[in-house]
Amino acid sequence: MRTNSNSTRALGSDMPILECKGIERRFGGIVAVTGVDFVIQPQEIFGLVGPNGSGKTTLTNAITGFYPPNEGTVRLSGQDITGVAPHKVAKLGVARTFQNLALFNGMSVLDNILLGRHIHMHPGVIRTALYWWAARPEEIRNRLVVEEIIEFLQLESIRHEMVDGLPIGLKKRVELARALVAEPKMLILDEPMAGMNQEEKGYMSRFILDARAERGISVLLIEHHMDVIIGICDRMLALNYGEMIASGIPKDVIKHPRVIEAYIGGSHG
Amino acid sequence: MFYRLSGVYHTDYVSDSRIYGVPADRNMAAFCLIIGLAAPFIIPSLYLNSYMLPWLIWTAAALGLNLVTGWAGQLHLGYAAVMAVGAYSAIHAVRFGVPWEIALIIGGLAAAVIGSLFAFAALRVKGLYLALTTLAMQFIMDWVLTHSAAISGGSHASLQAPTLALLGQQITSDTGYYYVAFGWCLLVTIFMLNLKRTGLGRALVAVREKDYAAAILGVNSFYYKILAFATSSFIAGVSGALLVATFFFLAAPEQFSVNVSIQVLAMVIVGGLSSIIGSYFGVALILLVPGLVNSAVASISQGLGVQIGVETLAHIPNAIYGALIVIILLIEPLGLGKLYGNVRDYLMVWPFDQIRK
Repeated sequence: MRTNSNSTRALGSDMPILECKGIERRFGGIVAVTGVDFVIQPQEIFGLVGPNGSGKTTLTNAITGFYPPNEGTVRLSGQDITGVAPHKVAKLGVARTFQNLALFNGMSVLDNILLGRHIHMHPGVIRTALYWWAARPEEIRNRLVVEEIIEFLQLESIRHEMVDGLPIGLKKRVELARALVAEPKMLILDEPMAGMNQEEKGYMSRFILDARAERGISVLLIEHHMDVIIGICDRMLALNYGEMIASGIPKDVIKHPRVIEAYIGGSHG
Repeated sequence: MFYRLSGVYHTDYVSDSRIYGVPADRNMAAFCLIIGLAAPFIIPSLYLNSYMLPWLIWTAAALGLNLVTGWAGQLHLGYAAVMAVGAYSAIHAVRFGVPWEIALIIGGLAAAVIGSLFAFAALRVKGLYLALTTLAMQFIMDWVLTHSAAISGGSHASLQAPTLALLGQQITSDTGYYYVAFGWCLLVTIFMLNLKRTGLGRALVAVREKDYAAAILGVNSFYYKILAFATSSFIAGVSGALLVATFFFLAAPEQFSVNVSIQVLAMVIVGGLSSIIGSYFGVALILLVPGLVNSAVASISQGLGVQIGVETLAHIPNAIYGALIVIILLIEPLGLGKLYGNVRDYLMVWPFDQIRK
């Protein structure tokens, strides 16, 4: 049902949240990604799949400005963000998580999530010196937003713990919380369920669906778990060797011969 | 047990964000504050001025270096040069007729400007390369000081510091000097404590830990590194000026030479990176222990009736002091601050943790 309602909305006249056209990224002589076109509509969960080394992470790095694309354009709500530095892309409303976790180990869960509020805060030296008058109101205001997300992702019991000691499932959840508190328009999740068991995957999927339902964000989801992709994505794109091999509704894409070939090997004869 | 957590409930975010969540920590800080305020009346003035005062000013300086090295994670080997900029600017400002209050701020700002100018160039490289670039800054500053008579009076010259006067009050007594040092150290400490719980501190740690993750959260690494250098240089500049005004009374280039830079870095590392209380311990160790070991060795040899040559007597304390630093860093690489933290964690639940065993 949800899939249908969303794909009809996707056909509407809304301006797409993210629009990538002809993205190409080369590293020396190696073409990591080439000719990738796709559009993500508001409140859409868009899956991105492909075998290892097919260019999924390179594509997200091209969008977020870590590796600016050599060719092509990236538009966020119509605004050209091709090659804009990562910290500016973040300010424009893109949040992401990383495949190999990028939490700050010397900090508590709470401080990590508070850092997600950075773009909504104005840290400064004078403000820090005059903490009680200049910084505390802002800190408390942002703490309230953080606590909402902590409640949403059920992290209350580990709020004051250091992130280094947490199991990977919780770390992934803390990273999702940190991305969500930024109140992004576009959320990019790079393998949020890698290394999780079935139950944890279920939790994470529900969090993503709830985040969309309650906060109206659009999600670009990179995953290897096909059950998750089919279960929660509205549309998807499959990459192989840096090229698009199929895109559309998940049910159709996974039946596409080139996708099957890429994943389990075709008939080599 | 000693740092009792039971019965401590935070019912709002203001109370949860207090500097000292545990009452024992707060009481201890209050106790230290009172001792600090009462020090001129309980400590003989010789000790007050030759131990307490330099300890406090160097702690303020070390906290400044800790900001850039401990929090922002940028190795800085030119810290003494920045202190020199502050000291010379402030003295020249006062000699020019500017009141001391403003001269100290001028010193701090001049240091911040020069410090961040160098940082602009230096921050194009990272890690050890940055360390070398800051070291170059130290040597450039040494050269400028010894070769420009207008600033330092030339090589082997020293510049007399005008009498310190704050709020229209000439400060000439030992007690007065002490309170100036105490006040400055207190200000810097409060700033650093606040840094720990604000967005600025979090952003600096983010830059230190993972700059790509910081970037995607909207933290502009370059800006925050420059900000860290500028702030730490300001603290260095004022500390340098106060050091000359209350302790040396003369400014000479060798007071801010490269070995001083390395000494401050040693204070920060032995004390513990990004530990405030650790900086206090680290400065005490580097600054005061050599003297203590010296007198201890002398009195032990006297007590045992062993005749030790002057030559040996001069070297033994150095060896012991060096060994002490190595031993501390072997026991706890995160320094004295972490060592204190371990003891504190142990005493938190002692003796109740013994029951299970």
